[in-house]
Amino acid sequence: MTKTSPSEHATAAPVPEASAKATAARSGFRIGPEGWTTLALFGLTVFMILASRLISSGFGSWQQAQAILLLSSFTIVLGFGQGLVILIGGLDLSVGVVMTLGGILAYRWIGTSLVALFWAIPCILLVTGCVGAINGLGATLLRLPPFIMTLATSLIIYGVFLGFTGGQPRGVASPALTSAYTSTFAGLPVILWLLLIFIILATLVQSHSSFGRRLYAVGTSPMAAYIAGLPVRLLIVAAYAISGATSGLAGILLVGYATGATLTMGQSYLLPSVAAVVVGGASILGGRGTYLATVGGALLLTTLSTIIEALGLAEGWRTVIYGLVIMLALLALRENMGIGWALTPKFRNTASRSRPGGAGHKPNKTGGNG
Amino acid sequence: MSAFVSRKVSDQTADRSIRLWLGNGALVVSILYVLLFAFYAAAQGDVFGLQPMNDLANDTLPLALAAAGGTVVMLTGGFDLSVAGVISLVNVCIATQIGDGPLNALWGLLLAILIGLAVGMVNGALVAFGKLQSIASTLATMIVCSGLAIVVLDAPGGNVSDFIADNATDPILGVFPAAGAIALVIVLLWLVVRSTAFGVAIYAVGADETAASLAGVPVLRTKFLAYSLGGICYGLAGFMLSAVTATGSPSAGTPFLLLMFAAIAIGGTSFAGGYGGPIGSMVGAALLVLLQKALFSAGVSSFYTVIFQGAIMILAVLVGGISASIAAGRSR
Repeated sequence: MTKTSPSEHATAAPVPEASAKATAARSGFRIGPEGWTTLALFGLTVFMILASRLISSGFGSWQQAQAILLLSSFTIVLGFGQGLVILIGGLDLSVGVVMTLGGILAYRWIGTSLVALFWAIPCILLVTGCVGAINGLGATLLRLPPFIMTLATSLIIYGVFLGFTGGQPRGVASPALTSAYTSTFAGLPVILWLLLIFIILATLVQSHSSFGRRLYAVGTSPMAAYIAGLPVRLLIVAAYAISGATSGLAGILLVGYATGATLTMGQSYLLPSVAAVVVGGASILGGRGTYLATVGGALLLTTLSTIIEALGLAEGWRTVIYGLVIMLALLALRENMGIGWALTPKFRNTASRSRPGGAGHKPNKTGGNG
Repeated sequence: MSAFVSRKVSDQTADRSIRLWLGNGALVVSILYVLLFAFYAAAQGDVFGLQPMNDLANDTLPLALAAAGGTVVMLTGGFDLSVAGVISLVNVCIATQIGDGPLNALWGLLLAILIGLAVGMVNGALVAFGKLQSIASTLATMIVCSGLAIVVLDAPGGNVSDFIADNATDPILGVFPAAGAIALVIVLLWLVVRSTAFGVAIYAVGADETAASLAGVPVLRTKFLAYSLGGICYGLAGFMLSAVTATGSPSAGTPFLLLMFAAIAIGGTSFAGGYGGPIGSMVGAALLVLLQKALFSAGVSSFYTVIFQGAIMILAVLVGGISASIAAGRSR
């Protein structure tokens, strides 16, 4: 236990044994099934955008693709934190409310000032990150089911800002944030460049840092990770804290996009954040999934709803088609995802996760299934 | 009682039965319920008559039925999000398609059950035979059902027939709340189901799928049936909700999604499957409903109400967890 400390996360320290196992398993995934899932998701998204020309002549254009990218930016940012929490075997139901919290604070603190941008954004990320850390502490120290802990936190936070704002957030949408969505740099909206940087950094953290590898180890088998000397609780708290911070960031972005803040602004992004991660092929039980696949899932879902929106059908039928297409996409991508854990026991049992040595089974699991 | 049938009891000590009682989620949450009820009685005053009891039972039953169904799925180790869609769909169908009179009411009840069963079978097929993750496939069916609900009725409205609204919510023969009677029937049905091979299989699959399969339990069929049974419960919940509210709304089921999982957790069912039971969840649902009423009657303003709800949820699960570990005979 003593050989791992928080400061070690950032450095490329010697990887403990269990982590090395998980790494070996994971690189197997990445070239194999999970890589294909990601490619399939991106391919399907591009295909749908191109095919949408058939529906309307204004569709399938580069402008439309840009609009979809802008719309999906919130789910892409949220998906990173949600993906990390799901990776360690949890679930964060507070992302919607924490996103609203970030939005309300941005609305209030940043205002028209450009200077405020530089102190307020780190402050907001700190506040929302602390909320996430509280979720993590509840899930580790109090051993509450993550479902309940994050639901309770979101109720409490909602109550707090309902009380503070009196139902109506006051403030001004920052022109600087809005211009991130409206002004362009080198032919693309500024926000898309920022999003690209975010995706690269997030991929590096999740798939190419020792911190990320440890999260995979914890998600694969907490017991094995603990025996291997990883600070399991600390890692879990860190995953929740990151989820809080990314939710706050998504809230800040939404204020720029929507040029306003309401008490329910983040709510409709909760289910898409989970859906993007799961459509991306991550296991809800933890230990599997990549961020790029989550990005693909977010793009696919946003493209889908944008195109269905244009079909000119009544809201009910649009929703029905949306659900059916998600179902079909899940079935179609299933073979590539290799969800061994959900299958008959001949592949692998899920219970092995909770036992020491469960991690050792993991490589076989996908090996037999890819 | 019920919840610990699958529980492995290895300790031979004399206080074993005490520990088992402590570890029963249904019992712990029942004690919390009684405490909260005392507070509610103090704040509200008139709570012990037939009419207030009847109202309380009516408000509680839809969530309790949904939670019972969600628990059956949860026991096999799955998450069922389709509850919100099924309740909305049943609600708008009852509010728009069903006429007055006993025969129509019976048809409405049958329709509610059929809708729930159909959605449950789709869920079960996707999870058991389609090998999809439960949370993903039930999310998709939830979205489809919400869409269909909007197709049937695109804005709150409609009218539930008087026969359903009156007979399902008034005291039976003027002496016992109908909702309470229905809850009792569900509890008794569960006690029967639990003792069948299927009931044992549900716990076995949730506890260890491999072991269950090796022991000859039909894992896929059990999962399929569990989702179907869950769906029937959501259909009944939708029917009762329609009877209580007497109106239709395409988003009637939305609040049930998170409340149902909260009720299941408070009732002591493990989110990993294999331990717990619908009875605890039903009491958990009753606790959540009573909490809202108690806070309202105590005159607490709405933003404190949500804060209290969050705090009580954590407290209830903590108390349940502590008592479960005492029962298991080990320190946390």
